[in-house]
Amino acid sequence: MKNNYKYQNILLLVSSYIFYAWWDWRFLSLILFSSFVDYFSGLNIEASKTNAGRKKWLLVSLCSNLGLLGVFKYYNFFADSFSDLMFGFGWEVDDLTLNIILPVGISFYTFQTLSYTIDIYRDQFKPTKDIISFLTYISFFPQLVAGPIERASNLLPQIETKREFKHKWFNEGIFQILVGLFRKIVIADNLGTYVDAVYYNPEIHNSSTLVLATFFYAFQIYYDFSGYSDIAIGSAKLLGFKFHQNFNLPYFSKSITEFWRKWHMSLSFWLRDYLYISLGGNRKGIKITYRNLMLTMLLGGLWHGSSWNFVIWGGIHGLALGLEKFVFSLKKNQNFGFFGYIYTFIVVLLSWVFFRAPDLDSSLTIIKKILSFEFLMPFIGDFNNVAISVLMLLLGIGFDLYIRLKKVDLEILGGKLSIFRLVTFATVIIMLLNLFYSTSNNFIYFQF
Amino acid sequence: MDKLNFGSALKLIVYILVISYITDKIIYYALNTVSDKILSGQAVGKLNHFLIVKDSVDILTFGNSRTNHHINPEKLSLPGFNMGSDARSIAFCATLIKMLPKDKKQLVVVNVDSKNIFKTNYSGDDIGPLRIRYHRSDIIKQEVDKVFSYDPIQNFYWSKAYNGKVLGLFKNFFMPKYDHTKYHGYDPIYVNETQREIFKNFLKKPKRKECLDSYILNPLYESYLNQIKTFCENNNKRLVLITSPFYSDECKNDNKKMIEIFKTMNIEYHDFSDLFRDNNQIEYWKDDVHLSDKGAQVFSEILNNALYKKN
Repeated sequence: MKNNYKYQNILLLVSSYIFYAWWDWRFLSLILFSSFVDYFSGLNIEASKTNAGRKKWLLVSLCSNLGLLGVFKYYNFFADSFSDLMFGFGWEVDDLTLNIILPVGISFYTFQTLSYTIDIYRDQFKPTKDIISFLTYISFFPQLVAGPIERASNLLPQIETKREFKHKWFNEGIFQILVGLFRKIVIADNLGTYVDAVYYNPEIHNSSTLVLATFFYAFQIYYDFSGYSDIAIGSAKLLGFKFHQNFNLPYFSKSITEFWRKWHMSLSFWLRDYLYISLGGNRKGIKITYRNLMLTMLLGGLWHGSSWNFVIWGGIHGLALGLEKFVFSLKKNQNFGFFGYIYTFIVVLLSWVFFRAPDLDSSLTIIKKILSFEFLMPFIGDFNNVAISVLMLLLGIGFDLYIRLKKVDLEILGGKLSIFRLVTFATVIIMLLNLFYSTSNNFIYFQF
Repeated sequence: MDKLNFGSALKLIVYILVISYITDKIIYYALNTVSDKILSGQAVGKLNHFLIVKDSVDILTFGNSRTNHHINPEKLSLPGFNMGSDARSIAFCATLIKMLPKDKKQLVVVNVDSKNIFKTNYSGDDIGPLRIRYHRSDIIKQEVDKVFSYDPIQNFYWSKAYNGKVLGLFKNFFMPKYDHTKYHGYDPIYVNETQREIFKNFLKKPKRKECLDSYILNPLYESYLNQIKTFCENNNKRLVLITSPFYSDECKNDNKKMIEIFKTMNIEYHDFSDLFRDNNQIEYWKDDVHLSDKGAQVFSEILNNALYKKN
């Protein structure tokens, strides 16, 4: 193969489509549809001489992408909610729901492709004319199914440049993939076994069991998704691409505001730039700012899944962000000191109950049971699994503490290690994977 | 591509593979050494115990938790060992039976349930826990390879066989659960008052009769049964299949079908599903499928009489 990025891109594009088609080839048509709509919308926005013309093509992009997302992800939710509402008024409506499969990764690539057309509309980015590069940008397999949501301004220029093999990046990539595997299949999946057992039947458990399960879930979802992000970022680096960081030790946050600067950063920055700011951000007075914060978080919650639980999850975060904005406007410093760590973690824990519970009734049961303060001996179940979970969790937290205290950047740590240290680290991780991996769970964020 | 860069990356990969391979073997043999000394605990200890006693005992019982908690070998006429374990089925039993000595006269009792035998999706994956001896027993390796697809990682990193078992291993090494010299594989269930109340409440609730719709012997299950039968016939073993008691066995067609199948296969079978139907006592039970120690003692004596009445 010639040293030309176009050949590299064709290979990447074919690999990415095969990767996606492996799950269900029929849904490739959706990615292709979104990609072509946005490719031509981008070119037409740029070519339009009038504002109305630009707006028209932006609307084409928005309606097509959000329309697809609406049908495949939210139709049944809104149909169900409509039926419930009508039933509340005494009218019985026929079942309006459809048997629809949620295409893997649709939420992620829809946001990614939307950012492209919005950036062009805002004159922040020039559209590409190279269709292969654009299709590769949308379907790039390391981040296709669960992010990180990479902006065109970061990824497209890299796609349109010939990639060279970089030894340093290779070491960084290998290191981060190994960390990701450990976080995901050792820590998160072992924790998930206990969480699943408790959340499957929450009404039979006491307060301490439910608190412990929710505590475990907080770390399960963190290590699950940050582990996946590590694998995606590391894999991309092996191929010569640099993604943005997606998690930055979010539980070491002194406020919810800080938490959202460190948790699923590619989504939170997307919501800030394309939703919060589009709604007016903090430029239209304090009341509108509160409204915008709440709306952004409610929609952010809904992005995760079509259920009222996710809306409430977003609502809790929106409320906390609003309250913090109010409190910080009265204070000089913008955090709560050490107490902030505890406050933040408690709010996040509370919100995870809604995120994890299968439905609203179960969430409320769990909250009620926790508030009954029945702090007896927690349910243990499989002692071996719980012991492994705790031990591996401590290892994971220890590693995070090391990163924080030494102020090292996980994304580049592998490149700084000597070959001896890197090989030793890799061997330790491989042994931990062999001895403690769990096969119990899928990636949580694949369902979104 | 920079050749020097690529060479360094290749060197890194080779180093990782070589060092991790060597470390894996060191860990694997170290864990084997620890594991071999363990004779308590269901996952490793009981298997080790079985491997020690299998050549000397006269009776061996196999099956799931209903074997483990229902048959006390001390109540049998000849020295025996109960190899029943939670969630095990015929693949696990068949593999262990094939490891029995060739010429020693032994009685092999396998506890079978209709829910397993007619299960349409039975895949033999209950053999999984034997993977711990994958690289140490040709019979286990052969049987595991038949059930699970080729696992290149397992073949490269042998310590994967100990996945999820390391903590339990060390716990049983330093703090054995029981004295193995007095253990014959039977784990009695002593029911406390709370458990008794829970069971009483369970019995009060109306039950739906959940009988099977079709009674087609699972082909894989049948294949394992045939393998056990052939092994026993060729190696001086008497094979007996049994179904141990249930609190209340509402479905009868499955029992009839099992009797028919085993008769066709020419295998001795004793159905004890309804053993306590006419003289049932709540004290015999922990729940509707597991006998308490009291019930197990009664059943073990009846089983012994049934096993030796014919001979």
